[in-house]
Amino acid sequence: MHGMFPRPLTALVFALALGPVLSAAQPMTPSALAYHRAQQPKRVALAQADLLAHRTELGLSAREAFVPAHSFTNAQGEAIVHLDHTFDGYRVLGSQAIAKVPLGGTIQAITGKVLKGVQVDNEPTLAPETAKAIAVRHLDVKGAMKDAPRVERVLFPAQFLGGIATAVDPATGKSILDRKHSVHAKLASPYVWAYEVKTHVQNSQDGLKALTYYIDGRTGNILRINDAIDRQSATPTTGSGQGYYNGNVAIPTSQMVDGTYALYDPTRGSLPNPYLQYFTPDGSGWGPTGLQAWYELNDAQGNNTGQSFLFQGNAANNWGDGLPFSIGSFGQEGGLNGQTMGVDALYALTWTWDFYNNVFYRNGMDGLGTTAIAQVGMTGSWYKHNAYWDPYYQGAFLGTGTPDGFGSFTEFDVVAHEMTHGVTGTTVQFVNAAGYEEAGLNEATSDFFAQMTKAYAAGGGGSAIPEADLPWQIGAGVGHGTPIRYLDKPSQDQRSVDGWYDGVHFMDGHYSAGVLNRALYLLAHGASATPGDINYSPYLPNGMVGIGNDKTARIWFKAVTEMLYSGGMGTVTFQEARDAAIQVALQLYGDSAGGYGFDSLTSHAVENAFGAANVGLNYAEPPRTQVRFADWRNNDYIQRTHFTAYANRQFLPIGEKVVPRITVLNNPNTAVTWTLGGPSIYNNGLHDGESGYALKGGVINADGSWTTPYELGWYALTATSQADPKQFAEGRAFLINMDTDQDGEIDALDLGPISFSWLLRPGVNPAHSMFEAPEVDDGDIAAFADAMKSTWWVK
Amino acid sequence: MRIRDLSFLVSGLALVLSLACGGGSSNSAASTQPPPAAGLAYTNPTGSSWRLVKDGSSTATRVVLNLMGPAGLKTRGVGFNIQAPTTVKFGAFASGLPINDAGVYQLTMTGSTDPSEPLAITGGVKKGNLLSVGIYQKDRTQTAQDSSVTLCQIAIVFDPTAKLAVGSNLALTIPKAKVIPEDIGSASDDTFTLDKKMHMADITIAVGTLTAN
Repeated sequence: MHGMFPRPLTALVFALALGPVLSAAQPMTPSALAYHRAQQPKRVALAQADLLAHRTELGLSAREAFVPAHSFTNAQGEAIVHLDHTFDGYRVLGSQAIAKVPLGGTIQAITGKVLKGVQVDNEPTLAPETAKAIAVRHLDVKGAMKDAPRVERVLFPAQFLGGIATAVDPATGKSILDRKHSVHAKLASPYVWAYEVKTHVQNSQDGLKALTYYIDGRTGNILRINDAIDRQSATPTTGSGQGYYNGNVAIPTSQMVDGTYALYDPTRGSLPNPYLQYFTPDGSGWGPTGLQAWYELNDAQGNNTGQSFLFQGNAANNWGDGLPFSIGSFGQEGGLNGQTMGVDALYALTWTWDFYNNVFYRNGMDGLGTTAIAQVGMTGSWYKHNAYWDPYYQGAFLGTGTPDGFGSFTEFDVVAHEMTHGVTGTTVQFVNAAGYEEAGLNEATSDFFAQMTKAYAAGGGGSAIPEADLPWQIGAGVGHGTPIRYLDKPSQDQRSVDGWYDGVHFMDGHYSAGVLNRALYLLAHGASATPGDINYSPYLPNGMVGIGNDKTARIWFKAVTEMLYSGGMGTVTFQEARDAAIQVALQLYGDSAGGYGFDSLTSHAVENAFGAANVGLNYAEPPRTQVRFADWRNNDYIQRTHFTAYANRQFLPIGEKVVPRITVLNNPNTAVTWTLGGPSIYNNGLHDGESGYALKGGVINADGSWTTPYELGWYALTATSQADPKQFAEGRAFLINMDTDQDGEIDALDLGPISFSWLLRPGVNPAHSMFEAPEVDDGDIAAFADAMKSTWWVK
Repeated sequence: MRIRDLSFLVSGLALVLSLACGGGSSNSAASTQPPPAAGLAYTNPTGSSWRLVKDGSSTATRVVLNLMGPAGLKTRGVGFNIQAPTTVKFGAFASGLPINDAGVYQLTMTGSTDPSEPLAITGGVKKGNLLSVGIYQKDRTQTAQDSSVTLCQIAIVFDPTAKLAVGSNLALTIPKAKVIPEDIGSASDDTFTLDKKMHMADITIAVGTLTAN
């Protein structure tokens, strides 16, 4: 039986006859694929011309155009072309079309993220160099910058303005307003000229920073700040053999000119690595092109010396001792014990490269063949217990761990996870910060394909992903048997979630990843109908049959690389991810292929798997009860997204009775039960009792109102449907002390002391109580006004 | 089914007609009730100190009140709480706030051209129909302003659902009002001096008579 077709993504399908239409899933020989890859430039031009010809239908003016930003040819021989939307030749931020140029038939374009009504009449008055200087001044680096800032003029949509940011005060452990990274700008028009300034810093004083600034081209105001680094918060490990995690393995090496060997694989990667271009070939046979493992040299105490080296000079081409990295090996990272990290890293690097190349015909992480690298032995307070993908260096940087803590971050799935960030970073470009649902999509995509890479490696290669006996875990070895994350039932880590709820975006993406991890696991593996089973979902009580690893991976890869686009603006939701996956399932396998899922259709299996994670409905399911926090403000600056801030949030006064607003949909019983705190309380890896996370406090009154506590900071509240307790929503409030005149009553007169404290030196500020900040600034004014509006709005 | 619906309609109509044509006793009872009000009337207070004066833009159902101070007094901002019966509502202005800036106080920094700069003006209606509003100069380097003109506005709106009788007295009270005085010290003053000067000063605002009309 057919259900209703899922709602398609907003798309235009352009009729452009190119010949007979072939099935999207039709297999293709390597020679045929090579032919189609050769046609890619022509198809990119076709896609561009076609979109330009349809500007009117898209609501665009003659001043607007499309320019190719990124393209590749997929396994079906179709050219996938990402095209930036431009206005007067300048990129419109966050606005992009994705065109698919098939072997024949019509060009299809996904245009849901193309902004309409773009208009700006003036010109920037700031010079690009001035914008660059503003960004650099704000960045306030102590050491040298790794790269010179790059600046580009862009058109900035007001909807992407940043908002507030908070940070933990190291002195008190409390959440405070992060004035430096908060964006107060408000724009009078929906579009303004701006400069995008990309910065990159990596040194011992500043650590790693890759902030992208958007500077108003006329006022010089900072409009938004993005963090470009994809990081993995991690935990511990174990293993044996020459590699600690992978045992005795064959790894690709090179014999160098002097006869020694290096962890260097010149057969994979056709373009030089941007990081390695800083190093000059020395005649040894080494070059910046080709997968390779490097190490960071530390001193004997484990302090970074700032020097990096290729694993090389090995006379017998035998590497590693198979033992965990030892504290005694600090300063000798290139030695036998340190090499073990290099072995594990290069092994995973190679398999991940082959996985994407052979299964998805993707040439490297960026699809262009740019060399990827792994650098092990990273130390320093942040690096040691972490792994991250640096998009500028196309490299996985992997910490040493500590003898009494985590193992080295060179475990197979950790490396594959990081490399997958390189794929998403050049396609969908998810933003990677709490505050956005897509942060969870980002991390889960890396988690899932790390599992698929393991299955692929276990199967020994080929062009399909076998049904290997996967643990569905990340970093189990790094955590000495305790995984960093679980995909099958993510909540096993006591922090991640198994299903979506309104407010899941508050979570760090590594934990909100649980939503998609769970959905993809169930889609591949199936769901049980027996409560208590690890793969039982109360949202899908009848269970489902899985469609297997290979199909699941192909559906999600196509969805994430061809259907979805964020551009770092944080706009992609779990619901959009579900819709895209359903569309791909229909494209690749048809809606009547049969044999899969609870009701025999692959696309329905996708619906059920996402429905089991509370994203959308199961196949043929009537509307579910939903609990939603209403917008608490009227599109003022605080409501907007920001790289460290939150949506669904507001300022509220301490010690006051307030009434949070909530909406219950699809159920006549709209009663909710309020509770203090919420599931996202584990944000940033912190949990109850630790500083820096959202607090829970105050009293829920019988009438549903909340008497707020007397402590400043972020507070979480949860509303749970009484009719369907599986459905709930979490909101956040930042509590401030508004009684600045200390008369025991909060009213508009309390804005007076803030006003007359303006420009006073610290110590004589009677309004300091609001944020416990030494000085008054616009943040105080805006926060006060916002809290007044949220608490005592005019009905 | 359709016939049955029609019969209901007919009988309902008959009932309405019979009530409208009710007997003499009903007419007699109605004559003792004052007619329902359709708007508001406001009589300005006397005196020339702080006061709320009806603005010319007021309508029959929306009374706009101008806050004016005494001649010769300079201030840097004012805030007050005003309570009204729950049978009327406080109205919002175009900004969405229940207070309107008359343009006297400088709500932004000197010379600011930044459209995103938050303004030092706020307001809201608290429990018990207590309107709390405030408007202030946030840049202490700017001079204080002559307060004998309209400094800000509030609005009181007729509520037809309250079914007020004509002539009903709607008492307005102002339990708290303060201004930022001209002299709040200089940023270069010592802490003792600043601490002494940096206080809002209590004022009394005269409010007129509001009646249902």
